[in-house]
Amino acid sequence: MAFLSPAWLLLGLLAIPLVLLYMLRLRRREVPVSSTLLWQQLLQDREANAPWQRLRRNLFLLLQLLLLTLLVLALARPFLPSESLAGGNMVVLLDGSASMLATDVAPTRFVEATAQVEGLIAAMGGDDQMTLILVGATPSILASASRDPGQLRQALASAQATAAPADWEAAVALAAGAVQGFDEGRVILIGDGGLPAELPSLPAPVTMVPVGTEDANLALTALATRDTIAGPQAYANVSNYGSATQQALVSLRADGRLLSSQRIGLDGGENQGLVWSLPDDAQMLEASLVGEDDDYLAQDNTAWAVRDASGRGRILLLGEGNRFLETVLGVMPDVELVRTANVDGVELGDADLIVYDGVPLPAAGPSTDALVIDPVATQDGQGPLRVGGLFTDTAVVQVAEHELLRFVDWNDISVRQAKRIEAPWARALVLAEGGPLLLAGEWRGQRVIILTFRLQDSDLPLQIAFPVLMANIVNWLRPGRVVNVNQSLSVGESVTLRPVRGAATLTIRGPGERLWTLRVDEEAVAFGETQRPGLYQIADSGDQDSRQLLGAFAVNMFAPSESAIAPVETVALSQEPLEQNESGAVGRRELWPWLAAVAVILLALEWWGYQTGWRLPPTLGHRWRRIG
Amino acid sequence: MAEARLFDEQTLRRLERLSLVARQVRVGVLKGERRSRRRGSAIEFADYRDYSPGDDLRRLDWNVFARLERPFIKLLEEEEDLAIHVLLDGSASMDWPPDGSDYHKMNYALRVTGALAYIGLVVGDQVTVTVLHSAGNRSWGPFRGRQSLLPLLQFLESVKASGPTQMNQTLRAYALHARRPGLLFLISDLFSPGGYRQGFQTLMARGYELVTIQPLSPDEVNPAPGGDVRFVDVETAGAAELTLDQVTVDRYRERLFAWQAEIAAYLRDRGGRFVSVETSLPWERLVLQTLRIQSVVE
Repeated sequence: MAFLSPAWLLLGLLAIPLVLLYMLRLRRREVPVSSTLLWQQLLQDREANAPWQRLRRNLFLLLQLLLLTLLVLALARPFLPSESLAGGNMVVLLDGSASMLATDVAPTRFVEATAQVEGLIAAMGGDDQMTLILVGATPSILASASRDPGQLRQALASAQATAAPADWEAAVALAAGAVQGFDEGRVILIGDGGLPAELPSLPAPVTMVPVGTEDANLALTALATRDTIAGPQAYANVSNYGSATQQALVSLRADGRLLSSQRIGLDGGENQGLVWSLPDDAQMLEASLVGEDDDYLAQDNTAWAVRDASGRGRILLLGEGNRFLETVLGVMPDVELVRTANVDGVELGDADLIVYDGVPLPAAGPSTDALVIDPVATQDGQGPLRVGGLFTDTAVVQVAEHELLRFVDWNDISVRQAKRIEAPWARALVLAEGGPLLLAGEWRGQRVIILTFRLQDSDLPLQIAFPVLMANIVNWLRPGRVVNVNQSLSVGESVTLRPVRGAATLTIRGPGERLWTLRVDEEAVAFGETQRPGLYQIADSGDQDSRQLLGAFAVNMFAPSESAIAPVETVALSQEPLEQNESGAVGRRELWPWLAAVAVILLALEWWGYQTGWRLPPTLGHRWRRIG
Repeated sequence: MAEARLFDEQTLRRLERLSLVARQVRVGVLKGERRSRRRGSAIEFADYRDYSPGDDLRRLDWNVFARLERPFIKLLEEEEDLAIHVLLDGSASMDWPPDGSDYHKMNYALRVTGALAYIGLVVGDQVTVTVLHSAGNRSWGPFRGRQSLLPLLQFLESVKASGPTQMNQTLRAYALHARRPGLLFLISDLFSPGGYRQGFQTLMARGYELVTIQPLSPDEVNPAPGGDVRFVDVETAGAAELTLDQVTVDRYRERLFAWQAEIAAYLRDRGGRFVSVETSLPWERLVLQTLRIQSVVE
């Protein structure tokens, strides 16, 4: 133990006057006795009256000396040198990534790391301060340059590890900012490593406190579906990140039914791919892995996949035929193209989209979504469109901001001639000097897009913009899926949800029966609450019974860097490898608050003792009491 | 101290009862043991006195009774000869405990004095009661016979303990006055600054048979621990400062018992007797049992 301000110890000399005062001013109770004859003989026998004898057993003097000692000690600020990193301006990077959920350190690595931070907070001296950064998918500063242990503990209590991989780059940037401008800055990294190789170096010494001991972990690192000629298939990949050979049972469930379960053996570091055939209507897949030996990270033992079993959309192409159009629509995924020249003989109802290429619209308007190319007036002049004459001044004067024109570069496109179209319900997206070239709008509940020129009259089909535009058009017109995710999302990744016509709000049910309700008054809604791996099902917000499932997506923790839970002792974060937590830095734990607390208790005790006429020993014979 | 109630009705009744029993004790136990100093004249007739209840009927003079029809007791030379002296320490230390306690030493001493003197009067002894003070002794007597009982009680009720008493000085003064040496009861706590030995010596040299009764109140025998105190002597105003813890109390008791043993040994060696009594013991029992066991009631 040492003292921060030992000069105060000189105040301990106050004990001398205190004792002297007691010796001089010791007031005895006067007690009359019948005779002091024997007492005086006793005094001669025994030096009962010696000064030290007076002071003996005087509880109040003892208490006061103790009080003085405590106060003087507290003023001198004693501290215990603690082998801790605490001290100066600390920036603590607390790893909150998925690998920190490993249970090789009971209960989890993250709890252990939290305890380490707790220790640092407890060891903080009065002048030390701490910035606490939780490194997750988006690193966050829990407490900034705080000297208040209570605030730090509160911030620490709110920290949670997620199943997401950590964004170390952002975390290191935050740490660099936090450590800047302080003399005694130091960065303390508490975690199990897993840092990417190339990170900017930090302008302060970095110490790593490794957490975790074991590396045994089995993980499902992929789960995907594909459609083959033989039927739909599921593919999964199982990896053994540990060094020991492991046995595991891999099960696949489709829509809650167990499809398959098989036992596999994996050597240390080995991968194995598994393929299952799926029934045609399989939609929600869940693959799970049960290791027979140690498997310390459970979060990567289950994977989900959503298969779109809704089949292919049907596009009906009416017209004489256009090679460009047929080609581009034919190669689009999930699209079945039917071409016919004869409008009358076709049952229009089962098509998802009808392309009218130089064919007049029905008088009552299109019965589904429609793409109208080179509009032709109906025979009786009825219908949604008025078709006028041709115009040739087709230099583009205005291109609207619209979803349809995303990534479409209209500048290089030349149009020889186009038709004047009157359609007040539609918005002109591309406007030339003579009139609109591209219009879009909604006619009686159906979306309709109008190209006012023949494709042959422009170089549009030759431009790169053509397939982009057609893809945009098909996406916009087809009865949209709420979510369009080909494969699964990673944890924390956000997804764009498209509103479905008629649904004002969407309800999303995530893992653990969590529910979110989103208002969809815009074109698209971003949803980012994907912190937990699992299946997220999207429904319209009808009643519980009539609620209709609109789509689903899966969130998986496919992160090899997190599944590899083998702890790392050092990481390269600056030019030189990190110093590890050895007793290089000396912290100090100050003791004065304890001393002061005991002093207060003593003071209270003394007051109480004074009030209750405390003596040692406390009992008095009634005849010895003072008279009067 | 309530003198008026010192010899109240109850105390008087006890005194009466005691005198009856005490006489039996005296006659039965000690009659043959005690030798007269005037040898040969032991059976000579000395006087008559009135019969009082409890007297030995064998000593009734039946001739006189036949003639006068009144009972008289024949007194012989032997009985007539005994002089009883009761010396009472009147110092302030006897006025203790101060708070009107039942264990008041002076009251206790007065009652014992009364009992001893009463017994002596009833059996026809010559009784002298003296209260010792340094300022001057107060004496009552010598008197003889039952008729002196009331004046005796009046005298005792007028006694107050105050001031210092130099035991040596007052005892010597009493011994030098010596009219008829005899049995002498000294009732004192012996808390006398100058000691007691010279006084005892003088008394015994003059032929007194000394019985010392030392009444002590319970808190004098067994004081309670009480922290830092300054003891003030009520008699001499002397002070003693000490820390009164259990150790000190134990030492005090050791000291007290050693002192009492010393007095007892001193008196025993010289033919005297010493009785120490706590005032919590009923005074009749002291007079009867303790004194009989010590064979001092005669």
